[in-house]
Amino acid sequence: MSAKKTTLEFNDQIVRQFVLATILWGVVGMLVGVIVATQLNFWQLNFGISWLSFGRLRPLHTNAVIFAFVGNMMFAGVYYSTQRLVKARLASDFLSQLHFWGWQAIIVSAAITLPLGLTRGKEYAELIWPINIAVALIWVVFAVNFFWTLARRREPSLYVAIWFYIATIVTVAMLYIVNHLSIPTSLLHSYPVFGGVQDALVQWWYGHNAVAFFLTTPILGIMYYFIPKAAERPVYSYRLSVVHFWSLVFVYIWAGPHHLLNTALPDWLQTLGMTFSLMLWAPSWGGMLNGLLTLRGAWHKLRTDPVLKFMAAAVTFYGMATFEGPLLSIKSVNALGHYTDWIIGHVHGGALGWNGFMAAGMIYWLLPRLWNKPLYSASLANLHFWIGTVGILLYMAAMWTSGITQGVMLSATTDNGTVLAYPNFLDTLNTIRPLMLMRVVGGALYLTGFILLAYNMWQTLRGAQPVNGTVEVFDDEAAPGESRMGVLGTFLNPPVLFSVLGCGFACAWMFGGSVISMAGLVGTLVCGILAYAHWESRGQAWAGWYDRLLVNSAPFTILTFIAVAAGGLIQIIPLAIAHRASNVEDRRQVPYTPLELAGRDIYVREGCYVCHSQMIRTLVPDVLRYGEYSRLGESIYDHPYQWGSRRTGPDLARVGGKYPNVWHLRHMEDPRSISVGSNMPPYPWLLKNDTQVAALPSKLSVQRTLGVPYPNWTPEQITARVNEQAKAISADLKAAGAYVAPEKEIVALIAYLQRLGKSESIAAPAAMAKAGQ
Amino acid sequence: MPHDVQPAPNHPASPGSRPAARPAGAPLTPFPVPNRDSVTTIRSDGSRPFLYPADTHGRFTTARRVVALALLVFYLALPWIKINGYPAVLLDLADRRFHLFGATFAAQDLWLLFFVLTGLGFSLIFVTALFGRIWCGWACPQTVFLEHVYRPIERLIEGDAVRRRALAAAPMSREKFVRRTLKHAVYILVSAIFCHLFLAYFVSVPEVWDMVSHAPSQHWGFFVFMAAYTGVTYFVFAWFREQVCIVLCPYGRIQSTLTDDHSLTIGYDTRRGEPRGKAGTEGAGDCVACNRCVHVCPTGIDIRQGLQLECIGCTACIDACDAVMDRLKRPRGLIRYDSQAAFSGGRTQWIRPRVVVYFVLLLAGAAVASWAFSTVKPASFGVTRMTGAPYIVDTGVVRNQFLVRLVNKRNAPVRFNLELARTPAELRRTGFEAVVEVGPLGEVVQPLVLQLPRSSYQGPFRFEVRIQDASRGFELKREVEFMGPEARLLREEEEENRGRRK
Amino acid sequence: MMPNQQITPDEDPIRPHAYDGITEYDKRLPNWWLYTLYITIVFWVGYWSYYEWFRVGPTSAQAVSGEMAKIEAARLSTAKLDDAGLWKMSRNADFVAAGKVVFESTCAPCHLASMRGKAESAAAIGPDLTDTTWIHGGKPTEVYNLIDKGVLAKGMPTWGPVLGAKKISEVTAYIMSKHKEGEPVVIAPATP
Repeated sequence: MSAKKTTLEFNDQIVRQFVLATILWGVVGMLVGVIVATQLNFWQLNFGISWLSFGRLRPLHTNAVIFAFVGNMMFAGVYYSTQRLVKARLASDFLSQLHFWGWQAIIVSAAITLPLGLTRGKEYAELIWPINIAVALIWVVFAVNFFWTLARRREPSLYVAIWFYIATIVTVAMLYIVNHLSIPTSLLHSYPVFGGVQDALVQWWYGHNAVAFFLTTPILGIMYYFIPKAAERPVYSYRLSVVHFWSLVFVYIWAGPHHLLNTALPDWLQTLGMTFSLMLWAPSWGGMLNGLLTLRGAWHKLRTDPVLKFMAAAVTFYGMATFEGPLLSIKSVNALGHYTDWIIGHVHGGALGWNGFMAAGMIYWLLPRLWNKPLYSASLANLHFWIGTVGILLYMAAMWTSGITQGVMLSATTDNGTVLAYPNFLDTLNTIRPLMLMRVVGGALYLTGFILLAYNMWQTLRGAQPVNGTVEVFDDEAAPGESRMGVLGTFLNPPVLFSVLGCGFACAWMFGGSVISMAGLVGTLVCGILAYAHWESRGQAWAGWYDRLLVNSAPFTILTFIAVAAGGLIQIIPLAIAHRASNVEDRRQVPYTPLELAGRDIYVREGCYVCHSQMIRTLVPDVLRYGEYSRLGESIYDHPYQWGSRRTGPDLARVGGKYPNVWHLRHMEDPRSISVGSNMPPYPWLLKNDTQVAALPSKLSVQRTLGVPYPNWTPEQITARVNEQAKAISADLKAAGAYVAPEKEIVALIAYLQRLGKSESIAAPAAMAKAGQ
Repeated sequence: MPHDVQPAPNHPASPGSRPAARPAGAPLTPFPVPNRDSVTTIRSDGSRPFLYPADTHGRFTTARRVVALALLVFYLALPWIKINGYPAVLLDLADRRFHLFGATFAAQDLWLLFFVLTGLGFSLIFVTALFGRIWCGWACPQTVFLEHVYRPIERLIEGDAVRRRALAAAPMSREKFVRRTLKHAVYILVSAIFCHLFLAYFVSVPEVWDMVSHAPSQHWGFFVFMAAYTGVTYFVFAWFREQVCIVLCPYGRIQSTLTDDHSLTIGYDTRRGEPRGKAGTEGAGDCVACNRCVHVCPTGIDIRQGLQLECIGCTACIDACDAVMDRLKRPRGLIRYDSQAAFSGGRTQWIRPRVVVYFVLLLAGAAVASWAFSTVKPASFGVTRMTGAPYIVDTGVVRNQFLVRLVNKRNAPVRFNLELARTPAELRRTGFEAVVEVGPLGEVVQPLVLQLPRSSYQGPFRFEVRIQDASRGFELKREVEFMGPEARLLREEEEENRGRRK
Repeated sequence: MMPNQQITPDEDPIRPHAYDGITEYDKRLPNWWLYTLYITIVFWVGYWSYYEWFRVGPTSAQAVSGEMAKIEAARLSTAKLDDAGLWKMSRNADFVAAGKVVFESTCAPCHLASMRGKAESAAAIGPDLTDTTWIHGGKPTEVYNLIDKGVLAKGMPTWGPVLGAKKISEVTAYIMSKHKEGEPVVIAPATP
C-alpha cells in the first residue's frame, strides 16, 4: 500500500470567530446581569422605560449568558477539538459560516425582541416562534456539519469528548423542539401547545436538561480535550469515562421534576425527580474526579499556569454545584430553598465557577495557538483568576445567606405553629436587600475579570497572524465505514439488552398493577444479577463490543438518543394522557374572559413570572401565607403555565379578590405607596397604553384549538365582552377615587389579577362554596 | 462495565499483589509506594488501602498539637461560657435568636452572616496566598479531630504504625478482637460526645442534657438525627479519613489554585537532596532515601515528588526529615516550608501586588463589615399597610391603616415611642398613644390608624414614622405614603353628593 | 520540582490509543464512590416503594392537609370555637383580662378603649361594640369570625394571620364580657 502523506489544514477560522463572539457576548450578558441585579436594589435604574424593566431584561441576561456566551464557547471548543480528535477538517466551510452568522443573528434578534416584551413566557425558552425556528435550523446546520465531519474522520475510534458532543447535539435538538412547540397567533406571538401542569413538566424537563446538555455535557467534552492537553497528562480513567458518560446522560433527563417539588405536579413525578437527582450525584462526580485526577499529575503547575488554575477551579465548582443540586432536590431541603436566592446562588456557582472558568481557561489556552503569538500577559490572566474567585466568593456567600435567611423567615411560625412569624412578605425581602447589593459587588468583580480577558485578548491579537492548525495524514486513512455494526450488532448484545430489559422491568415495577409490578421488580433484580454475572465472566466481550461501538458513530448516536429519550418519554407520555380537564380530581379552572386573557398576555409580556410564582406548594408555610395549596386543575388551561421559579415578590396564585381594584392600580403605578419598602418597579406605561383587543379573536381561536373550552365567539362578541368587563372595572376604580379609561392595559391586567385563584369545584358540592372565594 | 485488556477486574488484584512487588525484607504489609500517576489510597481494583502513618516528633508536631488543643478547648467550651446571660455561641434556630459573644441577633439580622462567610472565605484566600494550605494542616476540624483525637486514640490502643499495620494484617484473634472492639467503642463514644457538644451550639446545654437524660421515645426526631450524625462522624474519622481531603473537600483544591510561586508550601529541596544515596555515598545529595517522609504522611504521598493534590500541609514530613538530618548532623530543612521561588534558588517575595491588594480588600471588607454590624440597632421596626383596601374614604375623612411591628433584640424590656413627622396638622392618629413596652427579645405588632378630614386632603403625600427608645435614645425612621383618592375625583364626588342632598 | 523518576513496578498501563496526543489510563475510582451510586439506587427503590408502590407514606396533599388539620386542631384547642365555649370564656376573669390587653393595643385605635366607638366619639372609626346592635352578627362565633376574616371594604383587617386563634378568642371573650348570653340582638347594616 502506498501511503502518501499530506498535510491537512484545520478550519480554525471558525474557531477564532466563535472565540471572539464568546468574549463579546460574555461581557454583554454579564453586564446585563449586573444591571438587573442592581435593579433589584434600585428599581429607578429602569428610568421608567418599559424595555429596561427587570421583567424584560432578566430573560435577556439568562438567554445571553446561556445561549450567546456558553453557546459560542461551546461551538468554539467543539469545532477546535473535534477536528483534531477525528483528524479531519470540518466538513463544510459554508455550513460553518452559516452556523456562525446564523447564531449571531439569532442572538441579536433575541436582544431586540426580549426587551420589547416579545416573549413566550417560559424561562430560558422566551424567544418568540420565528426565532425558535431559526434556532432549530441553525442547530441542524451544526449537527450536519458535525456528523458530516465525523463521517469523514481518519481516526476510527471516537474519543470521550466526542461522545459528550454527540449527546449534546441530539439531546438539545429533542429538548428544544418539544418545549418550543407552539401555535402562532400572529407573527410575533404564539401559545405553547402544552398547558398547566403538563407545560410545567415539559418546561423543566427542558430547563433542567438545558443545564445538563447545554451547560454541562459539552463543557465536559471540552474538559476531556483541554485538560489533558493543558496539563499534558493522560486522562485518569477510560472506564470511568464510560461509566459516568452513560449514567450521566441516562439519569439526568429524569431529574427535571426536582424543579417542581411540593407543587401540584403529581407525586410520582416528584418522587422520580428527587430520587433520580440523588442518583445523579455519583455520575456527576465521576466527571469531576476524572478531570481532577487527570490534573493531579500536573498539580505543581497550578501555581503558575493560569489555564490550569481556571480549569482546576472550574472542575471544583462543578463538583460543588453537583453536590448542592442533589441536596436541594431532597424535598424537605427544597421546601426551604426553592423560590429563594439559594437557587440563584446554586445556578451561579455552576455558571460562574464551572462555565465561566472553563471558558476562560479554554480561551487562554486557545489564544496563543489560534493567533500564533504568546499571550499578552500571563499576570493579567492570573489577576483575572484572583478577581474572579473573589467575585464568586462574594456572590455565592450573599446568595446562600439570602436564601437561607428568607427561607427561614418565610417558614417561621409562632403560637405553636399556627401563626406566621413574618406574615408580611416585605419583612423578609427587606432583610435580604443588603445581600442583593453584595451580590452586585460580586458580580461586578467577576465581570471585571472578563473585561481583563477581553483586554488581554485585544492586546494579544494586535498585529498577530491568525494561524490554522495542521496535521499530517496518510492518504489511505479513509473514513471508516459505518456498516460494520449493523442493527443487530447495535442492539443484540449483552450491555444494551441488559440495560433495556432492566429499565423495562423497572418501569413495569413502577407503573404496573400489583402483578405486573411484582413481576417487574423480580425481573429487574434478575436482570441485574444476570448482567453482573455475565459481566464478571464475559467482561472482555462487553469491552470488545464497546470498542466496536466507538468506531461506529451512527449506532453510538442512536444508543445515546435512546438513553436520553427514555426518561422524558416515561415522564411526559403518562402525564399527557392524564392531563385532561376531565381527569382533574377536585377543581377545574374556568377559562379566562377575553379581557382577562388579554391581561394575562400583559402579565407574560412584562415578565411578572420572573419575580412572582403562581403556585402554593403543599407546604404548611405556603398554605398559611397564601391560602389553600394549588390544585393541578387550577392551571389546566394556562398556556403557558406561570408557576414561576423565584419569589422576589409574594405568590399570586390566590391574589384574586384579596385586594380591591384600586389597590392594584395604585400598586402598579407606584408599588411603594402601597407596600412600604417594596423593590418592585412601577409600570406607568400600563396606564397609558391601550389593550390590544384586535388580537384577541386569533388568540381565542388558538386557545380553542389547544382545547380551552371557549365558545365560538365572533370578533364583535369578543369586543363587546371586553368592553363590558373593562367598563365595570373602570367604574369601580372611579368609585374608589381613581379614574382610568377602560381601554387601558392596566384594566385588563387588573381583570386578570382579580381572576387568579378562582376555579370551579367538580368533586363534592360542599366544596363548591369555598372554590368561589 | 467495559474495560480494557488489563488489569482485568474479574481477576481483582489480591490485597497483597501490589506490595508483592516490593523488595524482600519489607514490613509485613508494606507501605504502598506513592507515585505521580495514581492515588496511593486507591488500589488498582478500586479498594482502599488503609494508611498507618508513623509517629512524628519535633517542633512542628508540638506546635500543631498545642494549636489543636487550644482550638478544641475553644470550640468545645463556647456553649458553656456565658456572656450577658447567654452562651458565647447559641444559634437558637427555633426562636430565630442568635447569640454570639454577648451580642444577640434576630432573623432580620441574619444577612450579617454574609460578612462572617466572606470574612472566613477571604481570610482563607489571603492566608493561602501567603502560607499555602496552612488552614488544612493546622486548623481544619477534619485535621484537628483526626490527628489530635482519633489517631492518638488508635495509637494508644493499637500501638505504633508498625504494630497497627501488623494487627491489620493478622488473622482475627482474641487480642485483635479486643483491641478493635475497644477502639471502635471509644470512637463511637467520642463521636457521640462531639456531636452532642456541637448540638449545644443550637440548643442550649441544659436542654441538650435534658434530652439526653430522657428516653429516646420522648423525642424520636432528635434521637434519630443525633444517631445518624454520630454515625457519620464515626464513619468519617474511623474509616473515611483522608478521603475527605482527597476526594470530597473542594476548599483544599481551591486553595491549591490560590497559591503562587511565592506562597509557602511544604516542599523538598531537590537541589540539595538529589541524587539520593546512603550517607557517605560519593556524589550523593542530602536525601538518604530513608523514606521517613513517606511513612509519616497521613495522605499517602511522597513529598519529594513535588506539590500534590493530596498534600494538606500537615508538616509531618518536615519533622520526620529534620530528625533524620539531625542524626546525620546535616542542616535541617531538606523538607521545609518555603516558596517555590526559594526552592528553585530565588528569594521569596513576601510583599507582592496580589498580597497587597488582598490586604487592602480585607481591610475594606472589614470596614464594611464593622459598619454593617454597627447599623444593627438593638431594635427594628416595620410599617406595613393593613390588608385590604389601601385607603378608606369615610363620611368625613380619608383613612390609612398600618400595622407597626416592633422587634426588641435586647435581653431586657424596651419602651418605645412612636412619632410622625412631615404630616399635616389636621392628621388625626390613633394607636400608639401610649409608650409601648416590648419584652426581652420580644415582638409586638400594633395598628396605627391615620385620618385626614376631606377638607384638608390635597392628594397623597409622604411622611415619616419614627420610633424612639425612651431610655437609650436611638431612633429608627421609615418613610411611608398616606394614600387616598385623586383629589379631583374626591371633589367631584362631594359636588355630586351635595347636589343630591339639595 | 522534578518528579521522582522511580517508577513503581505495578504502574497502570496506558490504553494503546492516542487521540491528538491524548492518552488514557484505565484506572478505577474508589469503590466507595461506586457504592454511593448503588446506595442512591437502593434509596430510589425504597422511597418509591414507600410512597408510590405500597402507598404507606402520605401523598403531598394528604401530608399538608394532615398538618393543616393539626394546626386547625391547635387553634380550636386554644379557643373553643362554639358559642357556648366562648360565652364561658367571657365569664372567666383570666381570659377577659388577657383579651383586654390585646384589645387595648390592637382594637382601641378604632373602637376606643371604652369599646364604644362611634357611640362615644364621632371621630372614632369603629362601631360601638357594647350595644346590642350588630352589623355582622352578634353571636360569639360570628364576632370571632369577623375578627379573624375582617371586613376589607370597611377597613377592618383580617386579624387571623396577625393575632392567631388564641388572642382572637381572648379578645372575643373580652368583648362578650360586656354582653349577656340570650340578650336580644338587632342586626342593622352600618350607617354610612
